[in-house]
Amino acid sequence: MTAPLPLPRLRLIRPTTVEAAIAARADCPQHEFLAGGTDLLVNMRRGLLAPPALIDITGIAELGEMRTTGDRTRIGALVPLARLAEDPVIADRHAALQAAAASIAAPGHRRLGTVGGNLCLQTRCIYFNQSAWWRAANGACLKSGGEVCHVAPEGTRCHAAFSGDLAPALIALDADIEVARPGGRRRVACADLYHEEGRAHLRLAADEIVTAIEVPATATRSGYLKERVRRSFDFPLAGVAIACRIEGERLSALRIGVTGTNSRPLLIDGTDALLGHRVDESLLTAAEKLVAKQVRPMRTTLFPSNHRRSIAAALTRRLLGTLAAPETAAVRGPSTEGP
Amino acid sequence: MTQLAGARAGVPLIDGIDKVTGRARYTADLDHRGALVGRILRSPCSHAQILRLDVERARRLPGVVAILTGEDCRVPYGVLPIAMNEYPLARGKVRYRGEPVAAVAAIDAETAALALSLIELEVHELPAYYEADQARAADAVRIHDDKPGNLEREVHHSFGDVAAGFATADLVRETVIDCAEVNHAQIEPHAALAEFDPSTGRLTMQSVSQVTFYLHMMLARCLEMDESRIRVIKPFVGGGFGARVEVLNFELVTAMLARTAGGKVAMELTREETFITHRARPQTRIRMKLGLGRDGRLRACECEVVQRGGAYAGYGVITILYAGSLLHGLYDLPAVRYDGYRVYANLPPCGAMRGHGSVDTRHAFELLLDRMARELGLDPFEVRRRNLLHAPTRTLNELAINSYGLAECLDRVEAASGWRTRRGRLPRGKGLGMACSHYVSGAAKPIHWTGEPHAVVNVKVDWDGSVTAFTGAADIGQGSSTMVAIAVAETLGLPIEQVRVIAADSATTPKDNGAYSSRITFMVGNAAIDAARRLRTLLTEAAARRLERDPADIDCTDGRFRSLSAADQGISFTDAVKAALVDQGTLTVKGTFTCPPEAQGGKHRGGAVGSTMGFSYAAQVVEVSVDEDTGRVSVDRVWVALDCGFAINPLAVRGQIEGAVWMGMGQALMEETRYLNGMPAHASLLEYRMPTSLDSPPIDAMIVESIDPNGPFGAKEASEGALASFAPALAAAIADAIGVDLDVLPATPDRVLDAVIARRRRERLDALAGGRR
Repeated sequence: MTAPLPLPRLRLIRPTTVEAAIAARADCPQHEFLAGGTDLLVNMRRGLLAPPALIDITGIAELGEMRTTGDRTRIGALVPLARLAEDPVIADRHAALQAAAASIAAPGHRRLGTVGGNLCLQTRCIYFNQSAWWRAANGACLKSGGEVCHVAPEGTRCHAAFSGDLAPALIALDADIEVARPGGRRRVACADLYHEEGRAHLRLAADEIVTAIEVPATATRSGYLKERVRRSFDFPLAGVAIACRIEGERLSALRIGVTGTNSRPLLIDGTDALLGHRVDESLLTAAEKLVAKQVRPMRTTLFPSNHRRSIAAALTRRLLGTLAAPETAAVRGPSTEGP
Repeated sequence: MTQLAGARAGVPLIDGIDKVTGRARYTADLDHRGALVGRILRSPCSHAQILRLDVERARRLPGVVAILTGEDCRVPYGVLPIAMNEYPLARGKVRYRGEPVAAVAAIDAETAALALSLIELEVHELPAYYEADQARAADAVRIHDDKPGNLEREVHHSFGDVAAGFATADLVRETVIDCAEVNHAQIEPHAALAEFDPSTGRLTMQSVSQVTFYLHMMLARCLEMDESRIRVIKPFVGGGFGARVEVLNFELVTAMLARTAGGKVAMELTREETFITHRARPQTRIRMKLGLGRDGRLRACECEVVQRGGAYAGYGVITILYAGSLLHGLYDLPAVRYDGYRVYANLPPCGAMRGHGSVDTRHAFELLLDRMARELGLDPFEVRRRNLLHAPTRTLNELAINSYGLAECLDRVEAASGWRTRRGRLPRGKGLGMACSHYVSGAAKPIHWTGEPHAVVNVKVDWDGSVTAFTGAADIGQGSSTMVAIAVAETLGLPIEQVRVIAADSATTPKDNGAYSSRITFMVGNAAIDAARRLRTLLTEAAARRLERDPADIDCTDGRFRSLSAADQGISFTDAVKAALVDQGTLTVKGTFTCPPEAQGGKHRGGAVGSTMGFSYAAQVVEVSVDEDTGRVSVDRVWVALDCGFAINPLAVRGQIEGAVWMGMGQALMEETRYLNGMPAHASLLEYRMPTSLDSPPIDAMIVESIDPNGPFGAKEASEGALASFAPALAAAIADAIGVDLDVLPATPDRVLDAVIARRRRERLDALAGGRR
């Protein structure tokens, strides 16, 4: 049935410290952390999850802080995406991060949505993000408690795709994620926050929470490009972030992060082989091929997976070409809204 | 002349302030106090026999007041008297995923939802068909027992000597074009509020309908009630576009629940259910063949259309007839053959949508004409100019053309877009394309033929000098009530503020066929003018008596009745009203409009479809940028000119032109309903992609006034005509930009990129072949 259900009755827990927040989660792993709610509440209204309580973390002051020091930028998990998109220091120091934040969903989402929420965005699939009636009529999938993945019925894993925009930028920028857990904090490289498994793509224990990101301020050029059908609202068909350094016309550093194609944001392997070369046609082709080979889009959207692969490759070529052009220090995608 | 004289900007819609301030109450905002919550159980299967539908557990749930199944629906319904094959709740069989099978009314939403979950449905599944050719296969199971081959209707029309036409053509080309199914996606989800009073046996129904009279009639039919016991009221409606031009299952179900419960039932459908209710433009395959002379003259047209109509008839017969009949009426065509096939499939039923029946065939026609012009080295504008009609005339299929402003539309957009200096000179990746389209100003022959006038408007004037127009016409945002106010005010020489409009309440307003086929301005507008003229005559006579002059000497302007011969002699409108009320009391006059028989189309079967009192005409130029790496098409600018006869309210006309262009753009670029084994995968505003403001170009909307001899003040329709030319103009612009001819709609990035890759492959092969020569 498809009746418009109000949100189920639930308890709201409002901790004011990180420790209290993770203690509440440890009490009951089914509780969900609530910040902007732009992902969680939509999913709850669709009946995709029904947590007994929401742990509203918006009262934890520490998580809302953003600080720039000489060699690092520390951004709290509760910093709104719009603030990231509009901050001139971020635009100056971490162009990819600014471009990625400015490209997320639509202005309303960016005002509410947070850094932590975007990093922990649920994976999506056309067979999963549907009403309860739809999922029941079609037969439950792996992600909704069923026995089969409708995207790849032969396989054993869920292919729901990750579509957050910040993660590829942070991967390219070699950022760390700070995670709080009982008794302390740990740090993890952004790519290592994720698994290639649509049902459980976050490598976070039930009593852990993302508290901040730390981005090193290295002398790199960076940018983010993504493609989607509409210039607003839509999740990416593919998104590519690149950070690189050019020294003496030769590529001396290169990191590529990709979103929208896998169950996790990808750090592209093998970019070291491109270092020491001029960014010319053959190098751009090699970079494009690296991406095309490593991304694994599946039929999780209404768009053909080969198209999403082509897009990821084409964006890589375009972005790297632009970043390598002498006059460029930052790139904002053609399909992104201005801040 | 008050509003209509001189250079005019037009007036804001009379209900605009209510809407933008939130005062307007839509169906879901009505007084729901004491209302039960209605909910519908929907079929999980595409095609199945119902073996058992057990509602007993649900019925026993405390808080459940009424529960209905197909067993309670004895009478079928449907908008066409010849094709009523649908029940409010499925009986015996389900034919698409999402079809209503049972309904409950309960004290609250949670109880209703729980009740639905307690209903047990057991079925025997049948083979299901999601594509027209599967459904038409020789061994396909029948979706409806009386329709072999799952063919709802086939149409074969031939006018002129088609073979001779092709024989004399210098260039004959044929192409197959596929257009995806789309949906109206009106912003207000479906809702209804029904109240049954057991003590009087009366039913009051409020719904999102565009056709309150049809709803009234169909409620009486399906509930087997006396028509006089039913009252239908249309609250504010948040868009229609054809989604609500037939009575919909949830409306009948809500009323039936209210009667069973003996009270008030509110039904609000989700966005998903609103999409599933559907009734929109079908997936269509068009095989188009044109013959063109080197002189640019069209010699012959042959067109085959296959529409995947979904599981029930709805408007299907009309849609497949429109697709053929509106091949005519835009250009001078000497010979046309049309073969149309409307096919049943196990998907939500299609229906009418803005540009009903004409849009996809017009796309194929204009697209092929553009390609052939290119092949012959002719300018697309010149080709159109060589095939213009000359009003008054009649088309091969007996459609009357009384006014024709297409030539001026072409001139306007050609000049405004800088076509002659810019076309062919833009950088690679940028392109210009153009196309034309037209649409009817109301079907000249109504579906439910009664012999009554096509429109009736009552105008009341009372002691306070106020003028109130009563119309059954449904204002669904298109501005029809404002049009009525202007027509009455203008005829009476009053400011528009002095005229109130009461619309679409069967207890007070005269019957009206409703808001479809762009009929209201032409028909209701004429009826409003007729009523106001009759009132003016009465008031003029009264003023003449008061002034002791001859009525012929009295003129009525600017709120006064004046003597023409003695300028200082005059009385105010209100005094004239008071004079007229002496002896008679409150005055109510009636105006009518009837389409004459000669406007009602040819005598051939289906010949009435497409017939109208007047066609609107449009030409548009679209400028695009195409990204060959990603397949993204960006629309940079649109120039569009519409011949609406006369713009009664230019502000509203511009809004309608922009809306039509924008809706055409959505279909052309990104809108598409997609099913996964019959499951609607598009049924949200995230997956059903309508353009956002960032995807929307500046639209230069120009108004052309051909002054139709029969239209109200010379007006014709203004809401649909500009839609169908967008998609072919876009396709032509893409071809101009990157040399790719797209045979599919919408032009989503994946399809464009596929076409680019195919072109590159062709170019490589051509280069190889060239190298070998």
